[in-house]
Amino acid sequence: MRDRLDLVWRVAIARPRFVLGYGIVIVITFLALFAPWLAPYSPITADPSQFLEPPSWAHWFGTDAVGMDIFSRAIYAPRVDLTIALLGTLISASVGSLIGALVGFYSEGHGVRSAISYCVMRGADVLQAFPVFVFAIALVASLGQSLQTVVMAIAFVNIPIYLRLMRSQVLSIRNMRYIEAAQVAGLSDFYTITRHVIPNAMAPVLAQISVNIGWSILLTAALSFIGAGVRPPTPEWGSMIAMGFQNIVTGQWWPSLYPGLALSITVFGFALVGASIEVLADPMKRRELLAELRPNASVAAPPVSRTSA
Amino acid sequence: MSKQEDLIVSKNIKRRTFLKSAAAVGGVAAMPGMLVSQAARAADKAHTLVMASPSTPQGLDIEFDVSLGSIDVLGALYEYMLAYEKIPDPQSPDVLREDTSVHSDKKEGLALRGRLAEGWEVSSNGLKATFKLRDGVRSNWGNLFSADDVKWTWDRKFNLKGQGVFQTAVLGLKSPDQIKVEGPRAISFNLEKPSPILLKQMCNLANPIYDSKKCSEVGGKEDPWATKFLQNESAGFGPYKIDQIVRGQQAVFKAHPDYWDKQPYFSTVIMREVPTSSSRLSLLKGGAVDIAQFLQPREYESLKGDPNVTYDAVRSSYMIWLELNAKIAPFDNVKVRQAVNYAIPHDEVIRTIYYGQADKLTAPMPYIYPMADTSFFDYDYNLDKAKQLLADAGFPKGFKTTLSYNAGDPTQEPIALLYQTSLRKIGVEVQLEKLPAGVFYENVTKRKRPMIFYLDSPWTPDPGYSLFLYFHSKSYVDYSNYVNTTVNGLIESGLEILDDSKRKEIYKKAQKTIMSEAPWGFIAYPKYTIGRKKALKGLTYYVSNSLRFQDFHL
Repeated sequence: MRDRLDLVWRVAIARPRFVLGYGIVIVITFLALFAPWLAPYSPITADPSQFLEPPSWAHWFGTDAVGMDIFSRAIYAPRVDLTIALLGTLISASVGSLIGALVGFYSEGHGVRSAISYCVMRGADVLQAFPVFVFAIALVASLGQSLQTVVMAIAFVNIPIYLRLMRSQVLSIRNMRYIEAAQVAGLSDFYTITRHVIPNAMAPVLAQISVNIGWSILLTAALSFIGAGVRPPTPEWGSMIAMGFQNIVTGQWWPSLYPGLALSITVFGFALVGASIEVLADPMKRRELLAELRPNASVAAPPVSRTSA
Repeated sequence: MSKQEDLIVSKNIKRRTFLKSAAAVGGVAAMPGMLVSQAARAADKAHTLVMASPSTPQGLDIEFDVSLGSIDVLGALYEYMLAYEKIPDPQSPDVLREDTSVHSDKKEGLALRGRLAEGWEVSSNGLKATFKLRDGVRSNWGNLFSADDVKWTWDRKFNLKGQGVFQTAVLGLKSPDQIKVEGPRAISFNLEKPSPILLKQMCNLANPIYDSKKCSEVGGKEDPWATKFLQNESAGFGPYKIDQIVRGQQAVFKAHPDYWDKQPYFSTVIMREVPTSSSRLSLLKGGAVDIAQFLQPREYESLKGDPNVTYDAVRSSYMIWLELNAKIAPFDNVKVRQAVNYAIPHDEVIRTIYYGQADKLTAPMPYIYPMADTSFFDYDYNLDKAKQLLADAGFPKGFKTTLSYNAGDPTQEPIALLYQTSLRKIGVEVQLEKLPAGVFYENVTKRKRPMIFYLDSPWTPDPGYSLFLYFHSKSYVDYSNYVNTTVNGLIESGLEILDDSKRKEIYKKAQKTIMSEAPWGFIAYPKYTIGRKKALKGLTYYVSNSLRFQDFHL
C-alpha cells in the first residue's frame, strides 16, 4: 500500500498536469453535489433591482440582465452539465461498446452475422458523415427541447465513436490464443464476448470516456447557447454565455466571462484526466513513465520499443 | 466597398464640399485625370447612405413578404396615392412623424397630402371616393403613371389572395369592379357601405402602386401579376430603384433620376446585412455605417455621450403582449387572465429590459393612434389582487403552464424570466419555451400555446382597423382566440360610420370590454429606435415602423 502511495506521489510530481486535471474534476463534482449549500442566492430567481451589477462582495461574479446571481448559477450549472454529459457518455459507451464488440467479433466470414456487421459499420459511417453539432441540433429539434432529449442526442452522436473503438480492439483480440481456447472449450459466443473479449478491450474505451465527458459538456453548452439545449432559467454554462455575450460590447463582460471560464476549465480538467488514463492504461506508455520515475532515470531512460509491449 | 472607402463617406461636409468643388474646378482647369476621378468618387461617396440591418429584403413583393428588410425598402421603391402631413415629434423635435390625429377642421378630418393622387373627393354618403391622379409621373422603368396602374394594383390584390385580401376586405370591397377607371387621370372606389378608413388605406405601406405596363410586359400570360418579377425587382414610382440584391449580404438602391418629386439627398443607399446587433453597434461606433437598425435597448443606451453617433427613440405603434389563449385552460377563465395581468412587473420590464425606451401597454391598440383610450388600464403590479383573483377562479394554489417566446427577439427572454419569477410568487409555475423564430410564428398562428409573446403593430392608424385585427373573432390575427360577439358588433359598426365623435364612443366601449376581459397580457409599447451618425438628419417616424431612405440628408 505504501509502495502504491509512493508511486502515486512520484507520478504526481512527474506529471503535475494530471494532478491538476483530477483536482478540477473533483472540485467540479463537489460543486455539483453541494451547490444548494454553497450558492448564496437562488439560481433561478430574477431580481430586477440588481440587474447587471458588476462583481462585488454581495455578488462575487456580478449579476445578469435580469438580476440573477452569476456565482450561484455558475456553481449550480455543473449539476446539469455533468449529469447530461455523464449520462450521455455512459449510454453511448455502453451501447457503442456492446455493438462494437458484436460487430468486431462477427466481422469475418460470409454469413448473415457478417452481413449485419457490414451494414452496421456502413450505418455508423453515415452517422459520422454528418457534422456532429448539426446532427445534435436536428435530433433536439425533432424530439423536443428537454434534458432527456439532450442526453439522447449526446448519446446518439457518440455511439459510432465507441462502436469503432471497440470493434478495432476486438478485431485484434478475437484471434488471440485465449479466445480460440475458449471457443475450443465449447463456451458460447455470448459468454466468450462478455467474459473474455470485452473486459480485455475496455482500456481505450475508458480513456475515451473521460475525454468524451469533457466534449459532451461542451456540446451541451453549445446546444444551450443556440437555444436548443436546456430551458432557461435552468443554470447551465452555455445558456448563461448565450444570455450574457451580447452585453460584452456595452461593457458588461461578467455575465458571460465567468461561465465561459468555468466551462473551459472543466473541459480542460476532463481532457487532462483522459490523458492520464491513456498513459496509465497503456502498458507501453506506463512503462515509459515508470522508467522515467526510477531514481537513476534522470541520466537517461532506456528506449522502449513498441514491439516489446 | 472597402472600409477605407466607407471612412471617406464619414468625412465632414467641408471636406466633401471641397472635393466636389475640386472636381468641378479640376475638370475646367484640366487637372490630371486621376485627381478628377478621385474627387468625383469622393463626391459620390458623400451621397451614399450605408445602413447596417439585421436582414436584407427576403422578397420585394409586399403581397407575400412583410419581413423586416422588405418593409424598410418598400417606401423608397414605391409611391403611394396619399400621405400624412409631417409634424415634429413632440418628444424628439429632430424627428418628424406622420400627423395621424383627427383634425375636424380638415377635409375628411385627416391631415393628408397628395402623392400619386393630387386631389380626392368623397361623396356625401361616403360610398364613393374619386381620386384625381398626378400627371407626368414616370416609373423607374420610364412608363407614365395612369389610372390603369391603380386599377391593376388593386386587381392584383383580388387575384393573388395574399395579404391584399385583408386590404380589400377591411374596406368592404368584394369585387374588382368596385374600382373604376374614370378617365386617364381619375379613378374611383365604390363601396357598399361607407368606410372611415378608405383614405387612410391609401397611405398604408401595404398599398404601393405598381407600374402595370412593366409588370404586364415581363409577366406575360404565364405570370399575369408579375409575382416572379416583383420578388426580386421593383416596378414603382418611388424615388429609388433597386440596383443589386445579394440576399444575406447587401442590397443597393440608386436614386431614380426621373422621380416626380424632389430628388433624394442620397443617390445611393447600401443596406448591409449584419445579423448580430453587437456587430451593428460596433460598425456604427466605428463610423463604417451611417445607420444601425434594431439594436438592443442596452446598446442604444451605450451611445449616450458618444461625440459622433446618437440614437432616436420615439413613441410608436409597436405593442408587445402575451396572447392568453382563451380556448386553453385555465386561460378560458377571465379571472385567471386578469390575475396574470396583475403579475406583470411593468415598471421593472421598462426599466431593466427597455432602459426606458418603452411605455406601459395601457390600451388594446397603439396609444399614438386616434381614439386610443388608456383610462381602462387597471393592471398595475399587484400580487395580492392577482392571488385573490386566482382564488376566485378556483386556483388558490396556482397552476402550471408554459410561456413560449421568440429566440430571435433578445428582449423576450429577459421579460419571460422576470415574469416567471413574478408568477412564481402567486403560485403559478411557468415553464419557459424558447422557440426559434420560424417555429415561433408557426406556433403563434396555430394558436396552440397557452401563453405566447407577440410583437406587432397595425399599419393603419385607426381604432376600427386595429381592434378588428386583434380582437374580432373572424380576424386571422385574433391569435388569442378571443370571442365576444358584442365586441365584434362594436368593431363592425365603427367601421361603417364616418362621424368621428360617434366612432370614438363606440370604440371606447369596445376598448373598455377588451381591457376588462384581458385576452392579452398587456406588457409594453416599445419605442421605435434607430442608431445613426449625429450628422445624419431627417428621420421620419411612420406608423408602419419602417424607414424611407428619401427622408435622410446631411
